Amino acid sequence: MLVLSRQRDETIMIGDDIEITVVDIRGDKVRVGITAPSRIAVHRKEVYEAIRAENERAAVVGASEFDPGDAGPAKTGGATQGGALSPRLTPITGQKQNQRTTGQSRRRRA
Amino acid sequence: MEVQTSRFGTVEIAEDRVINFPKGLLGFQEQKRYCLLQPNDDACFFWLQSLENPDLAFVITDPNLFVAEYSVPIRNEQMEDLRLSKLEDAQVFVIVNKVGEKLTGNLQGPLVVNTLAKVGEQFVLAEKRWTTRHELMKLEAPARAASA
Repeated sequence: MLVLSRQRDETIMIGDDIEITVVDIRGDKVRVGITAPSRIAVHRKEVYEAIRAENERAAVVGASEFDPGDAGPAKTGGATQGGALSPRLTPITGQKQNQRTTGQSRRRRA
Repeated sequence: MEVQTSRFGTVEIAEDRVINFPKGLLGFQEQKRYCLLQPNDDACFFWLQSLENPDLAFVITDPNLFVAEYSVPIRNEQMEDLRLSKLEDAQVFVIVNKVGEKLTGNLQGPLVVNTLAKVGEQFVLAEKRWTTRHELMKLEAPARAASA
């Protein structure tokens, strides 16, 4: 892992269009500002880890104890043809760039 | 085509039933091809069965059957990734888990599927409102043998 020291208000560039700025340092918390193209997803790692853990658990549970509707020999479903099920998506418009601030442990800061 | 599954044996599905998840699911990035199996005609739960691993399947459902106000925010770039030209072509699913006597849905990591192009992706939602274990329903206690 590349480790860099930064002071408050100093920035790291990743590639040409991702900027990470140390916005504030207080106690053992660092506030980090991230500017990135909207194509780049920015999330706290804990969120990824929680979803991954839940996926893995679901795969195990599905394998052992969970039998929805006495699934029996399955018919191959028509659900992906739409109709019965409703799409629920909300478009995000505006902002061309992600600009977020997220708390990070100081020990982990670059 | 034939799909090997450890739950249902060999299942015959049409090629156009295959759903590609180019990025895989979190924790299962190697498995990219799935199909949707429906236990019965009026089922509200489905199996998302891996075509590459007979043992790998997830129980999924339409979250709006349980949580009417749930909606997944989507960016233009994500629509392009999914080759979605309009929102109506998409279907949102969530992976179901059993926690104690409850069924929970992973509303923080929904699956968004383009039902025409058969391309899907697991989204990661930043909203704290939705968790990985949102209660969908309580399971009824197993029926006891009727007393004589």
